[in-house]
Parts: sequence; C-alpha cells; structure tokens
Amino acid sequence: MSEANTIKNAVCTFCGCVCDDIELVVAPDGKSITRAGNACELGRAWFLEHKVEDYPVALIDGQETSLEEAIEAAAEILVKAKFPAVYGLSDTTCEAQKEAVAIADFLNGNIDTTTSVCHGPSGMAFQGIGESTASLGEIKNRADFILYWGGNPVEAHPRHFERYSFKAEGKYLPQGRAARTVVVVDVRKTKSAQEADIFLQVKPGCDFEVLWALRALVRGRFVDASIEERTGISMEVLKDLVERMKACRFGVIFFGMGLSMTRGRHFNVAALLALATDLNQFTHFVANPVRGHGNVTGADNVVSWQTGYPFGVNFNRGYPRFNPGEFTTVDVLARGEADALLVVASDPAANFPRKAIEHLHRIPVITLDPKPTRTSQIAKVAFTVAPYGVSVGGTVYRMDNVALPLRPAIKSPYPSDEEILRRLKEKILELKGIKRQAA
Amino acid sequence: MRLSLHTAPEVPLETDCLCPDQLLGKSAKEIAKLLVFHGNQRAELGEFFHIQEGAQNGTVTVEGDLAKVKQVGAGMSDGKLRIVGNVGAHLGAEMRGGEIVVEGSAGDWVGREMRGGRITILGDAGHLVGSAVRGAAVGMTGGEIFILGSAKNEVGNGMRRGLIAIAGDSGDFTGVNLKAGTVVVLGNLGLRSGAGMVRGTILSTQPAELLPTFCYDTTYRPPIVRTLLLYLRRQGFTIEDVYINGPYRRFSGDAIELNKGEILLYAG
Repeated sequence: MSEANTIKNAVCTFCGCVCDDIELVVAPDGKSITRAGNACELGRAWFLEHKVEDYPVALIDGQETSLEEAIEAAAEILVKAKFPAVYGLSDTTCEAQKEAVAIADFLNGNIDTTTSVCHGPSGMAFQGIGESTASLGEIKNRADFILYWGGNPVEAHPRHFERYSFKAEGKYLPQGRAARTVVVVDVRKTKSAQEADIFLQVKPGCDFEVLWALRALVRGRFVDASIEERTGISMEVLKDLVERMKACRFGVIFFGMGLSMTRGRHFNVAALLALATDLNQFTHFVANPVRGHGNVTGADNVVSWQTGYPFGVNFNRGYPRFNPGEFTTVDVLARGEADALLVVASDPAANFPRKAIEHLHRIPVITLDPKPTRTSQIAKVAFTVAPYGVSVGGTVYRMDNVALPLRPAIKSPYPSDEEILRRLKEKILELKGIKRQAA
Repeated sequence: MRLSLHTAPEVPLETDCLCPDQLLGKSAKEIAKLLVFHGNQRAELGEFFHIQEGAQNGTVTVEGDLAKVKQVGAGMSDGKLRIVGNVGAHLGAEMRGGEIVVEGSAGDWVGREMRGGRITILGDAGHLVGSAVRGAAVGMTGGEIFILGSAKNEVGNGMRRGLIAIAGDSGDFTGVNLKAGTVVVLGNLGLRSGAGMVRGTILSTQPAELLPTFCYDTTYRPPIVRTLLLYLRRQGFTIEDVYINGPYRRFSGDAIELNKGEILLYAG
C-alpha cells in the first residue's frame, strides 16, 4: 500500500453527520475503495460498495445513447413543458444544486428538494418561530443537557453520539458522558433510548401535547391534569424535566423526523423551537434538526441563497414564490399538475405516495443518478453520473450548516451532476434563445 | 355576464383577472384578451373561457370544473361572483368586498388574508381557510366565510377579525394562532384546536378534546351564541334548536399565550 492511494480526512456523505475524518484506501487498480477507516457501518458500506461499473452514460427510453443526444432530448422536454419541476438535490454537491436552481429559474419552473418529505416542516417552523442554534462543535464542547426528540441516532447516524454529542469529550466538559444529562423522547424504546439517563415514552401522535405542556410549565402557566392519561407522561416527570432544562448551563434539543413527519408536522417543530426560545429566559438553549441525507442541508442553503426560500419554490410567474403544499413535489404530482420532472439524485418512484407515482408514469421524467433506480427505470432520459464524495469533489453542508469540501478517492468514467446540469442549462438557454453576458 | 370553461387547463391556470371588478364594464372581446398564467406561459382568458355578455346586476357566473384554476376572485372588492363547479386554490385571496358563491368544492387557501366581503362554499373546502400565508403572522382581518361542507386543517390560522362558519367537520389546528375573530364548526373539531390562540372564539356543537393548556371556566348560555347561530341559520346553515338554546361549556386559553381566547363546546 503506497501513500499515494490513501486519502486522509476524507468526507463521508452518507448521512447528515458528514464525518470528515475518514481514511480511505483505494485498490491498486483505482476502481474501488478497500478500506474506510473511522467510518461507521453505514459509511463503510457507502464507500466500499461503490465500484466503477459498466452502465451506459445515458439512456433514452431505455436505449443507450450519447451524452449529447440525451442532453438535447432532456432540454427539449423541459423547454416544452408548461409546468416543469426539478426535484431531489439532497445527495449531490452544492455546485450541482446551484445549476439545478438556475435551470428551474430559466424554465420558469418549480424547484423542490427532498427536504419537503423530511424536514420541510422544520423549514416552515424556522420561518415562523426562528431558530436558536449552534454548531455541533459548540454542542460537543459545551452542552451539559442533551435531548433527542423523535430520532434514533444509534441506527440512523451512528457517529452522532461520539463525534458531536454526549459521548464526546468537550473542551469545557472534560469528563464527557459523566458531565452530561441525556434525555430521549420517542414513541418506542429505541437503541438510542437505551443510552439515555431519562427516557420518555410518549404515546404515538402526542408529541405536540407534551411539548405544549412543557412550554406552559417553563412559562409557569396552567397545564391540565389529564396530561398523563393523554400522553403517557406524568406531570411529575414533566416538571422534573423542566427543572433540569432550566438548571443546565447549555442545553440542546436534537429533533428528527419522528417529530417533523408525524401528525402536526410543522406545528410540532414550531412547538419545539418555541420551547428552546422560552428556555432562553433561564439559560442558553438551542435546537438543531438531525438531518438525513449527506447534503440535504446544502440543498436548503443553496435554494435559500438563490431564491430566498428553502424548498417548494415556484418560478411560473418569473419570480420565486414559496408555498409548501402548493409547490412541493409530492403535491404537484399528486394533483397532476407537473408536466415534466427533472430528478437529481433521488428516487421518488420508490418512496412517494401512490397518486404521485401514478402521475410520474404519465409525464416525461429525466433522472441523474449514479445507479439505476425505480425512477430511472421509468425515465424518458436517464443519465448515469459519478457519485459525489467518492468520485466527485465539491462542497457539502453538515447538518449544522457547516460547509465542508469533499475529497474524492476514485476516478469515475461518468460526468458529475454539475457537469450534466451545466450543459443542460446551456442547451436550455440555446433553445429558449436567451443570451447571457459573459461575467 | 357568464363565462364557461371550454378548454380544461393542462397545468394550473392562475386567473387573478377572474373577478367582477376587472370584468364588469368590459366587452367580451376585451375580457377574452385579459392576461392569465397557464403554468409558465402567458395566455389569454379567451383561450380557456367562452364569454357571454349580458346585464346580470353586477353578477359574473363562471361555469366548468375549475379545480386547476387558482386565484379566482383574488383581490376582489365589489360585485358578485358565482362559480358553478369546483374551484382551485386561493379563491378570494386578499378579497376586500363583494360576494363569492361556489356551487361545488374549493381547494386550499380559501379567503387567504381576506379583508372583507363574503365567500360561501356549498361543498367542501381544503386546508388553510382564511389563513395567513406562510411566514406571516396575521390571516383574515375581516369578512365572512361560510362552508356548507367540511374543511381541512388550519382553519383561520392567524385570523384577526371576521367570521368563519363550517357546517361539517374541520381538520386539526382549527383557529391556530387566532388573534381574534370567530370560528364556528357545527361538526367535529379536529385535534389541537386553538393552539396558540391569543383572543377570539371557537365554537363547536360537538364534543372535542382540547389541549392541556385550556382551562374549564363555566357552563352557561351566552346570548351571543344564540344571536350568532340564528344569524347563521338565516345564511342557509341547518342548526337544530337545541344548539341555539342550549348551554355551552367555556374553556379559556391558550394559557401559553394571553389566555384570553375561548372555546365554547355544546354541553347538552
């Protein structure tokens, strides 16, 4: 093993933790990764399963074709459409996301990311309530009270505890775990709950009521005695939790999709953010979402930076409009509104509701993905791209909005999302007769 | 004046111009040239609607399945708009006066940030009736919305003044963040009604489970309930006498906010 084929401090883009301490060893033929040091089980699988394979670079109607022809066909579909929609974007670089926003803008189309089906309600709640937040580094070094609500990091983000949270040794908490109080709130006793000092098992669908009661107790207001019967959590436990929260020096609430995707959605998250805000009357308290996909946070950042809104943005009238429920992809498909869909690094045909998938079969779909997916199988035009983080460099955002540069390890024969999207954009400009001034 | 849909839009059609203020006083030719947005394309109203002139005392009738037609009657301030068929989102958004009657069902955001006038829907309505847009704190500030069917979530989100009455059921978070104003639901309230309400009244004739931050005050027969329900009966709602005369349990909340809002539940 020579020094040349080892990459130190590589960045794993499997989940929103975006661990940047991975040591990758590349096989002598340069076509696969043989070892991913420091990575968790999920990260190892992510790096080791990528092999340079032999799919065609582009397909039209399932038939192999050249990249040029496929780009032309895709551009024609999108330019012809009256309600073209762009979707996905959470598993690609910020550079590619930027091109996707430009495409939606030039097409006067719709742009939405997978945020709309995971932490979209959180995005709406941030807008309504505001976000009291901190970087994961600050949390690791300072937080002496850590609460996880509706998430199971042990299985979904295996290194979250040790790198960013209670298992890490903090600069101001050298005793690490012993100096921190850990609380988990969930509807079932997950593996994460087993690691907690306090576990609150809430009846399913009652998160909002518990959060609302906690808010009232923090503010010293009335809470009805029926709370235990309704939520499964007794008043004593809630009061004890509130006292602990008020007494800590730096508290954090991490929240997952168990909160943002259950009944109440954006109101659940809004209640939690408001609780963190209320607690700032007593001590320092922050709330951070635990994000899933590698660069879904980047998608929020790029789409916000370019359009003013994080997801569910529509350019039909030439200017950006934000309205989740109206312009989110699931809804525009389920109501049969979109008449063409460009999917970047996502697989809606595998995970959308039935009505939305039915509409996917009726309209031309264009996909960009490193591997064949359910969506690429029904696509009119399908591109094979190089996987980001493994073969493509660029920028990704960790779940706490910290930007990290990627260190790709193996060369891929396929183009990047960014390259295809840029060429697609140029083709669209050409077809629409838009001339841009050189910068 | 009568407009009938001859070509169904393939993608959402935004027709801010479909409102009596902009139509009355114009010739059929002028109306056919009014700007609409068909998805991302600019189009003319005449590409989708036949226009029949005729004096109808300031009434505009629109016929056809308008489920994909948005912003109908948006910004309307005068006249009467009658829609025979279903209608899409943002019906009567930011409406200031006049009357809209829908002989069918409506999409989401009926009377979004409405300031005055009246909307009557004989069928069902979608989410966010009389609500604020995302990111805004204040929804409807005046006028009346009557729904003879049911409505979905977030009825009257951030409402400050006015009246919303629903003959059927409402979804979750009815009257959420209510600043003031009145929401009447003759059917069942969804979960978490009045969450974050500051002032205002939510009334239901059916039992409901309330948030733990609402506190029971008393059971009484407030004269306003009788006045209100008799008024609604005159507007076409079917309301049994027991609800008009009967006692109501009053709960105050939301304790997290000012605690000056009230939820009245029939106690018969």
